[in-house]
Amino acid sequence: MAFTRINGKMVEALVAPGQQLFSQRGAMLAYTGDVRFTPSITGGQGGVMSMIGRRVANEDTPLMTVEGEGRVMFGHGGHHVHVVDLTGDTLFVESDRLLAFDGTLRQSTVFLGSQGGVMGMVRGQVSGQGLFTTRLEGHGSAAVLAHGGVLELPITPGQPVHVDPQAYVGHRGEVRNKLSTAIGWREMIGRGSGEAFQLELSGQGTVYVQASEEKL
Amino acid sequence: MLAVELAGDAVKARHGSMVAYTGQMTFKKLTGGGDGLRGMVARRLTGEKMTVMEVKGQGTCYFADQATEINLVRLDGRALYVEADNLLCTEASLHTGTSFTGLNGMSSGNGLFTTKVEGHGWAAVTSNGPAVVLRVGKDMPLRVDPGAYVAHTGDLHRSLKSGAGWTTVIGEGGGEAVQIEFTGEGLVYVQPSEKTTLGGDV
Repeated sequence: MAFTRINGKMVEALVAPGQQLFSQRGAMLAYTGDVRFTPSITGGQGGVMSMIGRRVANEDTPLMTVEGEGRVMFGHGGHHVHVVDLTGDTLFVESDRLLAFDGTLRQSTVFLGSQGGVMGMVRGQVSGQGLFTTRLEGHGSAAVLAHGGVLELPITPGQPVHVDPQAYVGHRGEVRNKLSTAIGWREMIGRGSGEAFQLELSGQGTVYVQASEEKL
Repeated sequence: MLAVELAGDAVKARHGSMVAYTGQMTFKKLTGGGDGLRGMVARRLTGEKMTVMEVKGQGTCYFADQATEINLVRLDGRALYVEADNLLCTEASLHTGTSFTGLNGMSSGNGLFTTKVEGHGWAAVTSNGPAVVLRVGKDMPLRVDPGAYVAHTGDLHRSLKSGAGWTTVIGEGGGEAVQIEFTGEGLVYVQPSEKTTLGGDV
C-alpha cells in the first residue's frame, strides 16, 4: 500500500480492507470510496505503554487511523511531501513531520541521549528535535513533510555528510550522527559565518535535507 | 536547492544558507559583503547590505533559502542587476557592487539602490516560485509588476509607468497602478509571486 505522489505537496494512498494506515489528524484532503477515520487515542501503535512514552517524550502528534476501502489524499499546510519506502530498514524522523505511514510499520520513540550520551541531548536541542525522536521500522511507506523540496544524500562509510541542523529532516539506515562545531574566534566576536553547528552523519544510509532552514 | 562542486576554489554565498555538504568545507564571514572597505561603506550607505560568507574546500556543498526556487545565471562580462535579498550565491570571480536606480526603485519597494554583479561566472538568484525569463527586444518593451521583478541582465533602461487614473484616486483601482517598463535589449527575470511594495498597494 504505497503512497502515490500526485504533485509535490499531495500524496494518495490506496486503502484496502484489513489494512490500516495512520496519518496526522486533519491531514486528509479528499477521499473516494468507503473510508473511516477514527482518532487514534494512543497516538499510534504499541498500546498504552507506548502512548505514555510518547506523551512523556512530547512525540505525541495527534494521529488518526484510516481504514476501509478507497483512495485517500493527504497533504498538510502546503508543505512538500516526500515518500520514503522502507524495506526492513529504519527511518528516524520527528513526529510532527510524519504525515502518514503504513500500519505495517513499527513505530517507537527513541531517546536521543542513548546515542552519544549528553552530546546526543545537546544535539537534539540544537537541531530542534528535542530529546526524543520517532523511529519507524519494517516494510511499508511513510510520507514525510518538509518545507521546500527534499534532497536525498547518500551516506557511505568514509564519506560523511554534514547537514545544517535546521535543514535536517530525517535519516534512514545505520547512521551515526554527532554534532560538529566550527566555532572559532570569529564566532566569539560575533563575526560568524552562520554555520557554527553542523550535524555530521556517518555510516551507511541516506539523509533527507529540506531546501529551507525553517522548522515546520 | 543548489549544489556546488568545489575543488579547492571558493564561492561567495549568503550568510547561513548552507544546508548540507560532503567533503571538507570551511566557512568564513566576509565583513561588509566583500569587495573591501569601499564596497562595505557603499553597501552600508545604500542599504543594499549583504552578509556574505566565503565557502572554500573540496566536495559538494548544497545551498537553499526558505524553500525559494533557484535560477542560475551565466555571466560573461555582462552585468546582472539583482536585489541583494534575491542573490544567493556567486562564484568568487564575480564582483558585486551597488548601483543607483533612482525613483523607480523606490516605488517598486526595492529601495533606491540595487546590487550589480559583474564578471565571468555563475550567479544563483532566488525567486519565490519558478521564475520566467522574458526577452526584451528593440521594439518590444516589457512592463513588469514591481513586486514580481527579480533581476535583469543586458543593456536595459528602466522607467516607471503609472496607469493610475481617477479610479485609483477614489480607491477603485485595478491593483496594477504602477509598472516598471524595460526598454533596450536584454533579459528580465520575473517571479510568479508579488512581494508587497509601495506601488503594489495603490
